[in-house]
This record gives sequence, structure tokens and C-alpha cells, in this order.
Amino acid sequence: MSDDEVEGFTYTPADHELCTLQPIPRIIVLRFSPPVEVRATDITTWPAWAMGLHRNDPASLRALYKQHFPAVKHSVLQNGGTDNDAQDMFQEAITVLWLKVKEGQFIPESDPGGFLFRVAKYKWLDVVRSAAHKHMKVVHDDRTSEVRADVPDDIEDRIVRLRGVYEKLDDKCRTVLDRFYYERKDLATIATEMGVEKESIRTIKYRCMMKLRAFRRTIAGEDNLGEL
Amino acid sequence: MNQNPIDRTRFEAIEAYVLGSMPMDERSAFESEMTKDSALRAEVELQRENTLAVELGAMERTLKAMRAEHAGLAEPGSAGWTNYLKYAAAIAIVLSAALWMLTRPSANERLFAEHYTADPGLPVPMSATGDPAFQDAMVAFKLGDLAEARGKWSTLLQAEPTNDTLRYYIASAALAMDDAAAAIPLFASVAADPTSGFRTKAQWYLFLAYVNAGDIAKAKGMPFDDDPTYGERVREIKAELR
Repeated sequence: MSDDEVEGFTYTPADHELCTLQPIPRIIVLRFSPPVEVRATDITTWPAWAMGLHRNDPASLRALYKQHFPAVKHSVLQNGGTDNDAQDMFQEAITVLWLKVKEGQFIPESDPGGFLFRVAKYKWLDVVRSAAHKHMKVVHDDRTSEVRADVPDDIEDRIVRLRGVYEKLDDKCRTVLDRFYYERKDLATIATEMGVEKESIRTIKYRCMMKLRAFRRTIAGEDNLGEL
Repeated sequence: MNQNPIDRTRFEAIEAYVLGSMPMDERSAFESEMTKDSALRAEVELQRENTLAVELGAMERTLKAMRAEHAGLAEPGSAGWTNYLKYAAAIAIVLSAALWMLTRPSANERLFAEHYTADPGLPVPMSATGDPAFQDAMVAFKLGDLAEARGKWSTLLQAEPTNDTLRYYIASAALAMDDAAAAIPLFASVAADPTSGFRTKAQWYLFLAYVNAGDIAKAKGMPFDDDPTYGERVREIKAELR
């Protein structure tokens, strides 16, 4: 069995070919320049898919989905899962990939298809081995530690922690903050879309971020902020 | 880290630094300040984390929206289920049509819907120290959280029962929630106050509230036909009221 194989759960070269990301025919205008730390690594040298993820470009997400989900779905279905399971695993894998790209932990030359496949596979094996699936036949996989290396515990903990922060926001804060920080729209555009004044959006953004700040301060305490 | 909220200018400077949009010369000064100020470093780190949390949350919302685009095709043997859905959809359409016939809006309700546009609200100033409770409610109002806005303003009205701004906006929220009965007395009190800056708008919304409530006599009895802003629409609506 090759390094990319687990019995009944195989990532084949054909899968890899399916996963090749095509250039994205879309011009993206950045409102923000990249964060200071990332600028040092010069993301302009990154492949299109990585730059797209870094800029929160939905077309890049959609392209990753289109190119790489079929291989994950095929494997999950082959291993007793459903389409829903495959979607869950793939979305978890995309989230890990996104965070790694955001934090400059992902080697830009790396193949996103292989990474997504491995992470989704590892996550599905975890599900299969869970109590809910104890009656299913589990194929022995002696490569678990290698697969897990793609998803160290700290990044999973970090995702859980970040989700917890976002859950603290109410809908109106999410509406404004999503558009500003994720979609990277300027205040005037958001104001026009929401039918309010630019100054109101600026105020809402500030107040929502102060709510998050207060929440983070509460859960982190003064001494261990650096661990966040 | 300071326990108090940071002011907006400071917050926006940190935000610009984290997002990489701070001009180069300012960034150098900012970084120099950070080397000496551990509290500032902590604020920067916190802002970075909060921004990332928002981005992650929004990204996952986007992913969920994409999920439907990649939902699996019907499994073999599901044709019967598909047929069942077709029949169910057909029955639902028939029932919906019947329900619509029974509950369709009256001519006056349609007239109200045609002419009613909710008050856009007041600009929300930045300072949270001026009247934060009122402004919080205004933010909710502008974002469509009408019940929240109405509740917060109603609390404030108990302390200031003669405040025409509060009465006007509580009524506006009530009317936007289709509660004309609650809106009418509040609009009426503002409309009758010659010193109120909201008087003309209150008269217009009072007129519309009467239309919405089906109180045609009171709507037609409002001497508002010659108002330079609303008169033409008032005359048009009155002509159609029945």
C-alpha cells in the first residue's frame, strides 16, 4: 500500500488530477493591503487559490469546492458515509486550510487537493471510530499520525475558540462585521447596502468590536491574553 | 490591558495596523510605540484575533451557503419520493391559493403598503457618552430590530414622558411592526405639538396609520391635503379610500 492509501480509502493520482485548481477568471480589487506580518512573505508569489483564500474571495472557495469535493465525497461514500457526511468533512477541511493560509502556515506550493483529502479522511476516520459508529467495520490505518500532522490539535482548538468568539455576536453585528472584515467592503458601500448613513455603520462596527473585546477580556483574563 | 473600552480613534488605528491599511510613516511610529507599550501590543493581538474570528465565522457561513450547490443527486430508487414531493407541492399550491383568498389584504391595507416607507431613523453619532441608550435603540431600529428598539425607547419614555423624539420613534417602530393601534396615540400626540420638529412627519404617519387600521373617517378628516411635502399623496390616497 502506498503512502497515499488506506484500505478502502484511497487518494489516487486520478483524484489528484481531478483536484487541479484552474486559474480563477476574476479580478479582485483589494481594499486592504495584506497584514504586516504576511506582507513579509509576499503573497503575490502564492498560487491563485492561496491568494484567493487569503483575500476571502468566494470565487476561490467555490473553485476549491468544485475541484476537490468530488474526491472527498467519493471516499466518504465508499466508507459508509453519506453526502451530508462528506460535506461536513470537506467543510471542516476547508476551514483548516483557510486558517493555515491566513496564518502563513501553509506552504503555498502545496497541493490543496491532497491536503483537503487527507484532512477530510482523517476527520471521517475519527467519526467512523466514534461510539456512534462502533458497529461499523473500521479499517486499520497505521498512517493516522501522519494524517494528523496536517491538523495539529492546536489549530483545531484555535478554530473552536474563534468560533466561540463569533457566536457571541448578534445578527446585526455579524451583518456589519462580515461585510467589513470578511467581504472587505468599505463603510460607504455597506451603508448604501443597508440603507443607513456611513457614520452609523462606523459606529456599529466600533461598538460590536468593543463587545468582542469585552468578551475576550472576560474569558482570557489579563495574564494569559498572549495564549489567545 | 485597560479594562475600559478604548476610544474609537485608538481602535481604528489598531484596526488599520492589523489590516495593513495604515500608511507607512504612521506604521513606523505605531510600531515604535508598540515596542514600549505592552498594553498596546496586547490590544493589537486582541484585535487581530477578533478580526480573524469574524473572518472565520463569515467564511463558514459562505461555505454553508455553497453547500447546496454541491448537494448530492437523488439516490437510486428515490423516484417514488420525488413523485410524492410533486404531489405535495401541488397540494401546497392549492392550499396556499385558498389561504390567500381568505386572508388577502383589504384595499386600504394595499393602499397603505403602497405608500408606506418606514422612517429611516436619525444618524447615530459616534460618541457613546452622549445618549448611548437612545443611540443603541436607534441602531437596532435602523437594522430592523424593531421590537428591541421599541422596548429600549419605551423604557426611556418612562423617565421622559413628554419627549417628542421618543414618542415619534416608538410610534414609528410600532407602525413598522404593523401595530397601528399602538402607533396612533403616540403619533397623534406629536402631530398635535406645534413645537415638535417631528410634527409634519408625525401627521403623515398618523394619516397612514389610520389607513392601515381601517379608520377611514379619521384618515379623511385629517386636514393635511395642502401640506407641501405630503399633500399630493394624501389627496391621492383619500381619493382611493373606501
